[in-house]
Amino acid sequence: MCTKRYAQRYFEDVQENEALPEVRLEVTYKRVIQDAAATLDYFPGHHDPEYAQAQGQKTVYLNTMCLQGFIDRVATDWAGPHTFIFKRKMTMARSVYAGDTMYGKGMVLKKYDHDGRHLVDIGIEVGNEEGVCCPASVTVELPSKNG
Amino acid sequence: MQEAPTKNQTGFDLKFGTYEQAKAMIGAKSEVIFSDVEVNVPMIKYYAAHLEDANPSYWDEDFATQAWGGVVSPPGMLMSWLMPLPWKPSGRGAAPLLATQVPLPGDTLINVSTETEFIRPIRAGERLNVTDEVADVTPEKQTRLGKGHFITTVATFRNEKGAVVAKNKNVMFRFSF
Repeated sequence: MCTKRYAQRYFEDVQENEALPEVRLEVTYKRVIQDAAATLDYFPGHHDPEYAQAQGQKTVYLNTMCLQGFIDRVATDWAGPHTFIFKRKMTMARSVYAGDTMYGKGMVLKKYDHDGRHLVDIGIEVGNEEGVCCPASVTVELPSKNG
Repeated sequence: MQEAPTKNQTGFDLKFGTYEQAKAMIGAKSEVIFSDVEVNVPMIKYYAAHLEDANPSYWDEDFATQAWGGVVSPPGMLMSWLMPLPWKPSGRGAAPLLATQVPLPGDTLINVSTETEFIRPIRAGERLNVTDEVADVTPEKQTRLGKGHFITTVATFRNEKGAVVAKNKNVMFRFSF
């Protein structure tokens, strides 16, 4: 095998109620604009502060696809690259704005076998300095040491 | 009370109308909308860079080929693949968001929640398409942002061979400034 090895958490390694390491990301204006370009989402709330303010927002805010990717990153940074994101549910209760520092943290809720798949439910919360913005849950499929 | 819409700056071709007209769209399905671009490594790397996501499934072709049969799309890019390019010679394509076609009074919108199920990895080289369906439109509700309606849509994403790769239930709030 010639590929580089990366750390992977196996299904057997996972404990229920285990906390995932926190992930943080500076949400600069540059990053919010980068977000619009990376996801081809030119809705003005994500690049025009005046429009965002008219909508009742503080300034431009991250879009759905960015928050989804950040949620998935919280799970895969912890579990490793052989992790398949099977299901993800997320609610944007409050926005994450340019100028914020975004955090993502998670906890293992449940591990179980279903249809021969090794699944782990993880509760994840994304927030900023003012608290929770985006509660989420993810179900990941992990490899097993028993194949 | 009907006012002429004057403030649609959303970039979407929003449809305007009453809640009764909106309710009549429950169950309506979109045409099949095809992606302007195939799932591709440069856009995958740009998105992963944006999130500072070091997952080698996006960066290390040898690893990704062994693990997944090729570089895979970050799951969060699912909807991005169907967003129309901002310009193309034949004219800009339709946004893959049937929620914007539901006739309602609101001038603007904000996304509220999504629930996604991935059937299998989406690999570079695949070309996705989507069909969207209106599942629900609520009566007018007052929120922190204003008065409006919540629109639930259910989208099915397929690859170029017709295999379903993901399903996405989305709730959007359509409201007035």
